[in-house]
Amino acid sequence: MTQVGQVVGILRKLNEEYQSSTPKKLKLIDAYLVYVLLTGIVQFAYCLLVGTFPFNSFLSGFISTVGCFVLAASLRIQLNKANQITFNVSPERAFADFVFAHIILHLVVVNFIG
Amino acid sequence: MTSTSFMMIIFMILPIFSWCATSTVAANLSPANLDGLKAQFQTAMKSFSDVASLHYTLAGIKELGVQPPDSFCNDIKKLVDKSNIESIYHATEAAKTLANCKLPVEDYRSVVTSTLQSDKSTTSEVYYAVSSSVNLGLTVDEASIEKRLNALAKTDDSILSQGYALLTGAQLSQPVAKFYADTVNDLVQQADEIDGRTLQYEGGVGTTALLVSAFYEVAEKAGAAMKIDPKQLHKFASYFSTKRHVATLRSAYYLTKVFKYLSDNKNTMPVVVTRVSPSAISAQNPSVLVSVSNLLGQPVGEISVVAESAKRKDDGVVVISKQKLTSKASDFSVFELPFYDTKIPRGFYTIHLTLTPRGDGKLIGLTDNTIDVKVTSEGAIENAELSVSDRDNTAQAKTYKLTYPNVQSEKLELDYHQKLVLKFQIKDKRTGEFIRVQQAFLRFTNKKSNKEIIYLAEATDGSNSQYKVEVDLQTNANDFRHQSGAYNAALILGDQLLQNAYEWKLNDNIQLSFHEDSQADKNHQNLYVPRPEIVHQFRLDEVRPPTIVSLVFSALTLLPLLILFILWIKLGFNLSGLPLGLSPLGFHISHGAVFALMFFYWKYLDMFQTIRYLALISIPLFIFGHRVLATLAARREKKA
Repeated sequence: MTQVGQVVGILRKLNEEYQSSTPKKLKLIDAYLVYVLLTGIVQFAYCLLVGTFPFNSFLSGFISTVGCFVLAASLRIQLNKANQITFNVSPERAFADFVFAHIILHLVVVNFIG
Repeated sequence: MTSTSFMMIIFMILPIFSWCATSTVAANLSPANLDGLKAQFQTAMKSFSDVASLHYTLAGIKELGVQPPDSFCNDIKKLVDKSNIESIYHATEAAKTLANCKLPVEDYRSVVTSTLQSDKSTTSEVYYAVSSSVNLGLTVDEASIEKRLNALAKTDDSILSQGYALLTGAQLSQPVAKFYADTVNDLVQQADEIDGRTLQYEGGVGTTALLVSAFYEVAEKAGAAMKIDPKQLHKFASYFSTKRHVATLRSAYYLTKVFKYLSDNKNTMPVVVTRVSPSAISAQNPSVLVSVSNLLGQPVGEISVVAESAKRKDDGVVVISKQKLTSKASDFSVFELPFYDTKIPRGFYTIHLTLTPRGDGKLIGLTDNTIDVKVTSEGAIENAELSVSDRDNTAQAKTYKLTYPNVQSEKLELDYHQKLVLKFQIKDKRTGEFIRVQQAFLRFTNKKSNKEIIYLAEATDGSNSQYKVEVDLQTNANDFRHQSGAYNAALILGDQLLQNAYEWKLNDNIQLSFHEDSQADKNHQNLYVPRPEIVHQFRLDEVRPPTIVSLVFSALTLLPLLILFILWIKLGFNLSGLPLGLSPLGFHISHGAVFALMFFYWKYLDMFQTIRYLALISIPLFIFGHRVLATLAARREKKA
């Protein structure tokens, strides 16, 4: 009982920290990440349910969600001021990279979707 | 298949086997197929379609000793084409064979004369004209013909042309004939040698026979003997003696002529040596009988025949050396060589014969004559025993001794854990040694369905060749198709050198019981019936979920988008900082265009077109994007 209580306590503290210290921009990106994650889960659940036909379409959709997640996550890392020591790029540059990478990702996904 | 028909097949196969084995490539000549030639002429005599066939048939049948009736004279007159020199030639030659057939000379004179005078006639036409003139009694200008032939010899050097030149020379005076007779040797050199044994000319048997008989004709007219190497003459004779059937009447006629020349004892004659006794030597047939004749089958005069050697084929053992054959006929045409002897073991033998004529040698082909025979012996089956035992425990075996030709009276019952073993030996009655045979089978016949199951008996190596057959009711059950029931067993033995073949019924009543259910017999008659049609099955589509499920999940995929908007709104997403102006507008439009392009790529375009459009759109995208971001960066700098 106490263990569960401890875990719940830790989670609540985490949430408070998060809500207070994270800038709005990053929170928006986090929401986007959650969205992409949910979409991926739905696709995977469908595949498990009805089988992998047509396999290429499933793969393309799933890879698309994974790719979007990764790109958004990298954008978030780059925009996080706390990481300025490691990644010294301007936010605009990060966003431009994000858009460029997405174009390529979408090209590949649409090619593969069949 | 009943046992008698099987027996018949064996008896048919064995002699064929032995014949094939004994008729090896012989250097001997064989007598001419006179009956065949005569039959060919007689069939042709029933109806004629052209004067050439008439000529060849009548002349051919006359060579064979049958005088054709004069009634054919009308046919000649009807069929002849008076404007064609060849036709006239055939007509005159055909008329010559009849006793009393006079042709109207004046009808042909003009054509004959014009052919002789023309510069364009070929050697064959010259021959036809000269021959027709001689037959019709017209005068012939020899000098001009000689000149014409010499001119033709320069332009046409084909073998047939040379042959016709010889034949023409034979129709003219003796000095001319002598001139052509001297060219015979050159012509012989132009013949083709096949396998070192036969000589022939291009053009087949008709041309070769025409040429060789031309040699004889011209030599006869010249009054001199034909100048030809005896070995080469023998090779020609060898070629002719292989022609048992000829296709055309022309070939048949010339072949008959050449056989007659080759069998004329005025000329050099090839000798024909053939075996006239059966090829198998046994106690009932102890001697080899050999016939000596010419190509027409006539005797050749006093001659002695010696068997130089008789060698066994497989190991070359010589059993006879320099033994003289005894003459059985007063005209020296049949000779005997006793061959059956206890000292001569069974096997295939080749006997080499040499002939020595009494008079001076006009005969050729006296050496290198071979006769093939086989010495057979009677066999006896000994020590035959049948034993029934357990598959794994051979110690407790029940053995029955069998003697040929008795049928075993006991009823045998075998079931699936037993096996049957048959052992026997075959002894050569003459020498007493155990021999091996080419066919040794044990045959089971299903009494109900008459299907046969045959097993091979194998002999042990060594001198006591013991044959053994083993039938195991478990491992061999498939051969019987698991059909339990009553069976007959018979032993079948056969060999080329075995005088008597065996089909010994061992037991009439063997009961076999197999472990599994009997399988039906394969219906062998249905092997060639059309098979059931295979309907092509196209690849089946994959199983897809029902449409509802797909639609539901598609909706579910869009649900997170809703959640996203809700979260964003909760977080305070606003578009207040959105810059306005040309560049942002351009950026958003080009960015949207890229997504639109993706849609079109999915639906309509291919990769190459998409890449091109993308390249196109990315230019404004880059420019406008750069501008927008620069603006945003500047704004941020200003704020900070």
